[in-house]
Amino acid sequence: MEVQKEAQRIMTLSVWKMYHSRMQRGGLRLHRSLQLSLVMRSARELYLSAKVEAHEPEVPLLPVRSSDPRLHQLREAEAVSEAAPPDSEPPSPEPMDTREAPRAEETPAPCAPRPSKVSRKRRSSSLSDGGDVGLVPSKKARLEGGEEEGASSEVPDRLQPPPAQAEGAFPNLARVLQRRFSGLLNCSPAAPPTAPPACEAKPACRPADSMLNVLVRAVVAF
Amino acid sequence: MLLSLPALHLQTSEYHPLFQLPHGRLGPWCSPTGSPAPLSCETGCGEGSWILVYRLLVPTQVSLLSMEEDIDTRKINNSFLRDHSYATEADIISTVEFNHTGELLATGDKGGRVVIFQREQESKNQVHRRGEYNVYSTFQSHEPEFDYLKSLEIEEKINKIRWLPQQNAAYFLLSTNDKTVKLWKVSERDKRPEGYNLKDEEGRLRDPATITTLRVPVLRPMDLMVEATPRRVFANAHTYHINSISVNSDYETYMSADDLRINLWNFEITNQSFNIVDIKPANMEELTEVITAAEFHPHHCNTFVYSSSKGTIRLCDMRASALCDRHTKFFEEPEDPSNRSFFSEIISSISDVKFSHSGRYIMTRDYLTVKVWDLNMENRPIETYQVHDYLRSKLCSLYENDCIFDKFECVWNGSDSVIMTGSYNNFFRMFDRNTKRDVTLEASRENSKPRAILKPRKVCVGGKRRKDEISVDSLDFSKKILHTAWHPSENIIAVAATNNLYIFQDKVN
Repeated sequence: MEVQKEAQRIMTLSVWKMYHSRMQRGGLRLHRSLQLSLVMRSARELYLSAKVEAHEPEVPLLPVRSSDPRLHQLREAEAVSEAAPPDSEPPSPEPMDTREAPRAEETPAPCAPRPSKVSRKRRSSSLSDGGDVGLVPSKKARLEGGEEEGASSEVPDRLQPPPAQAEGAFPNLARVLQRRFSGLLNCSPAAPPTAPPACEAKPACRPADSMLNVLVRAVVAF
Repeated sequence: MLLSLPALHLQTSEYHPLFQLPHGRLGPWCSPTGSPAPLSCETGCGEGSWILVYRLLVPTQVSLLSMEEDIDTRKINNSFLRDHSYATEADIISTVEFNHTGELLATGDKGGRVVIFQREQESKNQVHRRGEYNVYSTFQSHEPEFDYLKSLEIEEKINKIRWLPQQNAAYFLLSTNDKTVKLWKVSERDKRPEGYNLKDEEGRLRDPATITTLRVPVLRPMDLMVEATPRRVFANAHTYHINSISVNSDYETYMSADDLRINLWNFEITNQSFNIVDIKPANMEELTEVITAAEFHPHHCNTFVYSSSKGTIRLCDMRASALCDRHTKFFEEPEDPSNRSFFSEIISSISDVKFSHSGRYIMTRDYLTVKVWDLNMENRPIETYQVHDYLRSKLCSLYENDCIFDKFECVWNGSDSVIMTGSYNNFFRMFDRNTKRDVTLEASRENSKPRAILKPRKVCVGGKRRKDEISVDSLDFSKKILHTAWHPSENIIAVAATNNLYIFQDKVN
C-alpha cells in the first residue's frame, strides 16, 4: 500500500514536471522529458505490480471477469507494449521491465504474440479489477462518460475525445493536461501553431487512454 | 529585468560597467605566496592546501552605484534563491574554461555574456602579484532568439566555451547556446592611426579644397583596448539542444553535439556541416537514449567519444565511415544489482565526459560518481570515485526538487593525477588518483578569508555529528557547483558557484 501510494505520488509529480517543462524558456528538453517518462514508467509498473500482489488472492476470479475487459477493451497499453517490445526493439530500452520480470511476467503474458502497433488497440488485461481504472483505460468508462475514478488514484482515468486536434510538441499531453489542470494552474500553455510530424493524431474512435499512457507515449514522441 | 549588453570595448583602465568594480582594483583577496607549485605528487589534493586567489561577486541588481568589496554573499545567494528574479538568473555562470596556456579564463553565463579574465603578468616589482586574474574582455555573445516556426524561445545561455590554440596575437574562442555556435576573435588594440588627409581628428571629412599638403598617417600608441568580434556564426544545424562542442586537434574542424546528432564543422565554412553521428530513431516513440556529451581525442584527430543518458560511452573513428553510427569501442559497466533503485536510470546518465591530457583515459561523471576508464578496456572503468554517495538514499527528494537532473562537470589536472568535480552546498571534491586520497572543499565567502587556507569539509552521514561536520540534511541543494576548470599546467582552479566565480591556487608550503 505504501509502495502504491509512493508510486502514485511520483507519477503525479512526473506529470506535473512534464507539464511545467513546456513552460520553461528554451522549449522542451528532450533529455529531461525522456528521464521524466522513464521515471513515470517505472512508477507505474511499480504501482501495477504492487497492485497485482495485493490482488493475488483474487486470482481465481480473474478468468470470470476477463470477458468484461474484452468488452470494455481494457488495455495494458504501455506496460505490455514495453514489456514485450517488438522484435526489432532490443530489450535494453526497458530495463525496468526486464529487471522486474518476476513481477511483470503475468502482465505481458496475454499479449506477447501480438505485434506492437496493432496490439495497442485491443488487449486483455489481467488487471481487470475496477479499482485500478485509474491506470488502465476503460472504454466502458468512456462510453458512459461517468466519473469512475479509482479510489486512491489522483490520476484521471478517462479522456474525452478532443474537440479539435491539439497542437504543439505534445498534442496529447497538451490536451490532457489542459483539461485536467486547467482548474489548478493559472497559466495556459502557449499553443504552438504547428504539430511536429512525430506525434500521431489520436482518432476519436480509439479507446480511451489513461493519462499516463498518453503522456508516456506523447512525451517520447517529441 | 535583463539588461542586454552590446559588445563592449573594454578599456583596461576604465571602470568596469558590468561588475561595477573599477577594473584596476580587481585584485585578488590574497596573493599566492611564492611561485606557483609545479605539479607533482607532493602537491596533490590530499596534502596540498588551497588558498583563495580571486573572487568575483556579481551583485543582484546591476546598478551604477559602486559596489562595496565586502558585500555579503550570503545575502545575495539567499535573495536569489527566494526571488528568482530574472536579473540575477542572468548572472548565473554556465561554463568556465581556461585557454591552452592558462593565461586566459573564460566564463559564460545565462544571460549570454562571456567574460574573459587574464592572468597578471609576472613583473619584477610585484612578484607576489603573479597569479591574479583580471577582467580582460566582456561581450554579449548570444542574444535571446525566437524560432518562429516552432514558436519556441531560444535561450541565450552559454552552454559551452572552447578555446582555440593561439596562432597569432589574437585569441579565438567558440561559444555556443542551444542552437548556434559562434567563433569570436578577441584582440587588443593599442595603436591608433593619426594624421589622415581626408579626415580630421574627430573623423569628420575635410573639404578637399582646404588640403594643401599631404602627410602619411602614423600609428600612435593609445590606451589598450580589447575588442571582441564575431568572426563566424554556425547556425541552423541543430534541431535539438546543443550540449557540447569540441575543437579537433587538427585545429581546422570542430564538432557540435545535440541530443541526437553530432555535426562536424570546418572553421571556415559556416553554411555546411557534416553529420557524423545520428541516433535519432525512425520512430521517436522508440527513443531510449540521448547524447549527453562529446569530445575529440586530444591527439588523434580521427577519434572522438560521446556519452549517453544510459551511462554508456562510445568511441568512434571517423576513418571507418562517414557516418559514425557504429562505434569502434563501447564502454559500459554492468549495473550493480544491489544498487538498483527506482531512479537508477536517471542517475546513471552521464553528464560530462573528458579525455585525459595524455589521451589514454576518459573520465565520466554521472550523478553520484566519477569514473575513469582506460581506452583499452571497455567492460568496466578502472577507477570509480564516490562524489556524494550519501545522496543515494535521498534520491526521491532530489527528484522532487529537480536536483537529480543537475549536470555536473568534471576536470583533470594538467598531469592527469588529480580529478575534480562539484557537489552541493558549494562543495567541490578532488580525488588524487595516485594516493587515493580525496578532499572536499567549499567555495563560499564565509569560509574564505583572504590568504586563508581552505579547510577540508566533511559531510556526516549518520549518527553523531562531529564539530565542523555538516549533516546531510543541512546541505543547501540550491548552492551547487556544476562548472569547474583546472589550469592546464599549474595548480590553479576556477570554481563557479551559481553567480560567483572563485579562483583558488595551491599554496606552496
